Amino acid sequence: MIKIRELKFTYNGAEKPALHKINLTIEDGQFVLITGASGGGKSTLCRCFNGLVPHFYGGRISGKAEVQGLDILEHPPRELATKVGMVFQDPENQLVTTDVEREIAFGLENLGYPKNLIARRIEEALDTVGIARLRFARNNELSGGEMQKVAIASVLALHPEVLVLDEPTSELDPQSAEEVLRLLERLNDELGLTVILIEQRLDRVVHLVDRMLVMGGGEIIADGSPGEVMNGDSEGLGIGLPPVIRLMRELKSHNAALNGLPLTVKDARLRLQKVLQSVKTADFADAGESLKPILNMDKVWFSYGERAVLRNINLDIERGGFIAVMGRNASGKTTLVKQLNGLLKPSKGRVRLDGVDTRKSTVAELSRQVGYVFQNPNDHLFADTVEDEIAFSLRNRGADESEITKAVEGMLNEFELTHYRHSYPRNLSGGEKQRVALASVLVGEPEVIVLDEPTRGMDYVLKKKLVSYLDDYRRRGNTVIMVSHDVETIAECAERVVLLSEGRVVVEGSKREVLSKALLFSPQINRLAQALSGYGVADTTLTVDEMIEQIG
Amino acid sequence: MRALSYRDKDTVIHALSPLAKLAWGGGLLVLSLIFNHPVYILILFLSIILMVKLAGVGREWASTLKFALWLGLSIIVINALFSYHGDHVLLTAPFRLPVVGQPVITLEAIAFGAVMALKLAVIISVFTLINLTIHPDDIMAVLLKMRLPYKSVLVTSLSTRFVPCLVEDMGRISDGYRTRGVQLDAGGWFRKLRNRAKITLALLSNSLDRAVQVAEAMEARAFGNGKKRVFYKDINISKMDAVTLGVGLLPLAAGIIVRVLGYGDYQYYPNLTAIQFGGWEWVMPAVMLLLLAAIVPLAFLKRRVDLD
Repeated sequence: MIKIRELKFTYNGAEKPALHKINLTIEDGQFVLITGASGGGKSTLCRCFNGLVPHFYGGRISGKAEVQGLDILEHPPRELATKVGMVFQDPENQLVTTDVEREIAFGLENLGYPKNLIARRIEEALDTVGIARLRFARNNELSGGEMQKVAIASVLALHPEVLVLDEPTSELDPQSAEEVLRLLERLNDELGLTVILIEQRLDRVVHLVDRMLVMGGGEIIADGSPGEVMNGDSEGLGIGLPPVIRLMRELKSHNAALNGLPLTVKDARLRLQKVLQSVKTADFADAGESLKPILNMDKVWFSYGERAVLRNINLDIERGGFIAVMGRNASGKTTLVKQLNGLLKPSKGRVRLDGVDTRKSTVAELSRQVGYVFQNPNDHLFADTVEDEIAFSLRNRGADESEITKAVEGMLNEFELTHYRHSYPRNLSGGEKQRVALASVLVGEPEVIVLDEPTRGMDYVLKKKLVSYLDDYRRRGNTVIMVSHDVETIAECAERVVLLSEGRVVVEGSKREVLSKALLFSPQINRLAQALSGYGVADTTLTVDEMIEQIG
Repeated sequence: MRALSYRDKDTVIHALSPLAKLAWGGGLLVLSLIFNHPVYILILFLSIILMVKLAGVGREWASTLKFALWLGLSIIVINALFSYHGDHVLLTAPFRLPVVGQPVITLEAIAFGAVMALKLAVIISVFTLINLTIHPDDIMAVLLKMRLPYKSVLVTSLSTRFVPCLVEDMGRISDGYRTRGVQLDAGGWFRKLRNRAKITLALLSNSLDRAVQVAEAMEARAFGNGKKRVFYKDINISKMDAVTLGVGLLPLAAGIIVRVLGYGDYQYYPNLTAIQFGGWEWVMPAVMLLLLAAIVPLAFLKRRVDLD
């Protein structure tokens, strides 16, 4: 059992406490989800469970926290390791050794266990997590999902009673994320392990957990079953509800026969089938006629050494369009978009920007027309202050100082960064860094903006703002190209979708053509619409608003 | 970068005890430093080729050799340009430089540079061979067996593990910089230096973040909890391994004796000494070659014993 009373913690040098008056009891065997806006204290609270806060980070702490009967103030993480296992966000940076077997043995070796016991624990851990085939694999050759499973196995080998995971799926593709979450469900169900999980994507987890905590401003601002918490004021809590839940909340306000909240598509389908009476016929048209392409890829091949990563790509990207690029990990998505600003040049074929071959220009020259936002904001940040970071591109191209000041002020306001204008960008929180990175690219007003997985690990509020900004940006005649796994966001904002597999374009078309009736890439609402098509619901429905238009 | 890291392979060299390979490789490093004679250095190089071939890592070795070749060429050129010893002048510059006088290029300076370049190729090849055929964790285990402190060994092992990540970081950060409109190689040296410094700072900052994350993950898995650490995959030395270790050390021991006896030296200046092939002058290099290759039949024998 975890018992926390009046816990307050402030990091060294910080003005405000990261945790404030936390009172929490977690019974053994519970599956607890912790969510909320970034900077709300989720990670800090989780690091209290195994004593990393305060022992590793230092700071001022008051109150009481007991984990499985041990006071965290008296027991450092190395002593709590057999009680609480912790898995972190970045799959690569938590692996210490070079291969899977040694990785699992690492903690057991530290505890000085006899070799025969270590051997037994390794076997158990490999089987429990289902990675026996990876036993002798080298860590740097594993996929992100496999690395996370190895990290889980390496803490399970210590036989902890509580497993804490800090956004373990945020860097994984949907399939790997699903596998990791199913594993957690099994560990909780079958082994009775207490699982505490931080996660932003509620649609992935709400149906798995017993309890949901929402954190904001260093406090627990909501606590209850997922149904109870999501029935309340979700906007006020700063959490993004899964589409089926948003739909049902909306419908419930007009239909008294609906009660409770469905946590899965199946649940929603069963509830709706009981009450569905009239359906208004709707025909969701795709965007109008095609406009002139701004970017054209003509028979593009690209290879790293002898390995072909892009194979014969033919693609026109229209001016003013919003294109999403989807596909499994390593399907060539990032390689494809890197061709658009010249970061990579085709091995064969041509990429033309406004009719001009990109081979004739440098990346720096192309950057005036094509902005590129990397997955990791750290790859963007070089300057000493946020203000300088945003001004960097304009200053680099020799813009007038008054023009720079005006543009920077605009961006600081737009991305709510005014307060941090003099801060060192790399000292900001993850969400804030992401905003600085976006502002630093968008300030140059490129005609095309390429974003590589911009919503990964983003909290709901920030994601909502980004989507609205990009939509506005596109309406001003610019083109948006977004690599993403986030089907729900794509269903909301994209116009066209390109689906890649093994370096080839498998499907390319309007989002409705690609996302509806698909098995893996359909948004929740479309999966619901497909099941309700017998009642007259259009099976091309993609969003909550479209569904309400028909059955609301 | 990752192409140059260890991969499991089913070869007799991979199956050899890491201790024996380290002893053999370490011996070769010392020998390349204590011998000056071109024939002896050539023998060291030939023995490396034999091991590389048997380990099936020719392609990876060739890529590092390319790097060694460029470095070697620059050694030859610099030595030829700045070392004016030697009687056989091949070229005389039509001008005089202050202090050093009239530059000349001599046959002896070129020969000396060439042998130094070959020594360098031997040294780089030894490191490549060790890197490609010994599991990094085994190197760590060997160092621990030699009673080096665990924490220092772990830090060294972690730093090498993150080198590929660092190279990837560097690529991404440079790309980030280029997409913000910076031409990394344009402008004067000051501008280039400033651009590189910014990238290095960003790289450093990323590495510090990574270091904190790794430390956190280690702490959470009971690192440094005061109990006596157990090494699950400790290196056990079988009798066979002890024999190969002994044989691995033989070239070093023999090489020292050969040097003490006065063989293996060579005068480059002022005239290249004639290479003698009579009597012991011939026997000594042959013995060295045999001793260097002696580990090979043992490697085959060890594999047979392992399979049995």
